[in-house]
Amino acid sequence: MTRISRDPRKVFGAAVVAAADLDDQIVALSVDSGLSSGLGALRDKHPHRYLEFGIMEQAATGIASGLATAGKVPVLCAIAPFVTVRNYEMFRNDLGYMRQNVKIVGRNGGLNYSQLGPTHHSLEDFAITRMIPGVVVLAPQDCGEIEAAVTAMLNHVGPVYMRIGAGLIPDLFEDAPLVIGQGRLISAGSDVTVISTGQLTAGVIDAVQELEAQGISVEHIGLATVWPLDEQLILDSVRRTGRVVTVEEHYVYGGLGGAVAELLAAKHPAALAAIGVPHEFVSSGPYEEVLAHCGLDAASLIERIADFVRR
Amino acid sequence: MNLSVTDTNTLALSAARARRNVIRMIAAGGSGHLGGAFSCLDMVTALYGRVLNIDPADVSNKDRDRFLLSAGHKALAQYSVLAVHNFFDESELDTYGSRGSHLPGHPDMHKLAGVEGNTGALGHGTAIATGMALAAKIDGRTYRVFTILGDGELPEGSNWEAFAAAAHHRLDNLVAVIDHNYFQISGSVAEVMNMHSIADKLRAFGWSVREIDGHDFDQIVAAFDDAPYEHGRPSAVVAHTIKGQGISSLAGRIESHYWQPSDAELADAVDEADALIGLLSERVAV
Repeated sequence: MTRISRDPRKVFGAAVVAAADLDDQIVALSVDSGLSSGLGALRDKHPHRYLEFGIMEQAATGIASGLATAGKVPVLCAIAPFVTVRNYEMFRNDLGYMRQNVKIVGRNGGLNYSQLGPTHHSLEDFAITRMIPGVVVLAPQDCGEIEAAVTAMLNHVGPVYMRIGAGLIPDLFEDAPLVIGQGRLISAGSDVTVISTGQLTAGVIDAVQELEAQGISVEHIGLATVWPLDEQLILDSVRRTGRVVTVEEHYVYGGLGGAVAELLAAKHPAALAAIGVPHEFVSSGPYEEVLAHCGLDAASLIERIADFVRR
Repeated sequence: MNLSVTDTNTLALSAARARRNVIRMIAAGGSGHLGGAFSCLDMVTALYGRVLNIDPADVSNKDRDRFLLSAGHKALAQYSVLAVHNFFDESELDTYGSRGSHLPGHPDMHKLAGVEGNTGALGHGTAIATGMALAAKIDGRTYRVFTILGDGELPEGSNWEAFAAAAHHRLDNLVAVIDHNYFQISGSVAEVMNMHSIADKLRAFGWSVREIDGHDFDQIVAAFDDAPYEHGRPSAVVAHTIKGQGISSLAGRIESHYWQPSDAELADAVDEADALIGLLSERVAV
């Protein structure tokens, strides 16, 4: 299947600018990061709503909170670890505890900056942001979902964290509105439920096709919302398949796999294979090679899911 | 311009009543961060009594002045003054320390009208206040934003990020007050982490700075009324204060930082506060 590929950062930026054209309360905060987040057009069109702070993620998060107290809808986008880990206490207190209507967007998420090494990886962002009460965690799976997620996060009143990647990623789905907390059934099956999130879903779709060819019937659920989980969609599927695999570009602990494990343990115990990044500081290298090292390339996914189903 | 004798006495009486409220809250809860509350309390009194444009009956007004207590552990100062100005019924003071109180150990904007942010972790308030001031500039509103920091809070690097940002964005509607009471929990601030000269550092970051006696109402009101001191620059007030000011056995002593009084100490503090209220009431009446 030939897929059209687009750059998530440009798609994200264009969606924010389009929304800002219609809503003058939307402001973008840059920590020397706005132009590389696709927000250059906002600076050109609405310069008083493009706020530059230089490399200053902690204060920029607090400033976003202060802006929100006065009715602004701040969007702060930068390399994912710097707007999740670096500023975590500001995220927790100034946005979460204060319940501010601020949107934090971590780009080049997961292992995307594979060559730059662990300082630039974000492999715990789902875990730590979903631990803040009231924070929505989004990880759209293709560029159409990014556009829909921008609309959804700006319409949602409250703090949101969204992770996007970079590079060219394939369009997977027909355009549709995104409802926070609702996942999508990508393909139906009966042997195993595979739940994926973020732009890794494209590779999982390929793996599922091969597994089907091998005679394994996979129910594939794609989640653009990591938190809150779509519990009903997941539990309805697991009640039929009895087995679950989660796939994410995140540490195997605390993220999607952790959230699904918590759900299953509480409501429907079932066998679970949490596939993600091993709990280590991952060596740098070409993205595809790093992904393969982590067992997240399509070939590894096929093997790991098949082994899990057949064991 | 100096305040009239009547104005000064009125502020002093208001501050005395607020200190009495603090003692009342500590009596209810058993303990509290008294030292820093009392070092900044005269300034908080001046803010609500003379400076801030804020109506207790309309605390969400978009044009209101904002006051954010960056040093959130001094919440007793803000609660006590808000009670004096009828932001809430003073009977709530007696809930301090109880579960579900609207007066938690650190302020919560969703629990008490007049509180503008959830501070308590240090190094957050200046950035939040900067965002509030920046929003005014974007919207063309004329409100001012005041924040009070503790001197022990200054080593937090996030403050200096915010100081830089406020100057860069020319936020002359922002006033940061450093409650320089010289002590933090481990000792004198100069010994724990020497940030002197605070004024020089702030000037180097692009702020316009005044130094005042933080217990002298003439100086306090003038410093707040005169801001901004320079067009296009945020204003800082380095206020030299006395930790625990208002209880003679605690004033200037590190032991005042977190006060857990015995019954006798509490009774003495009540007597001292009530005597001052009585004295000042007579002066104001005259």
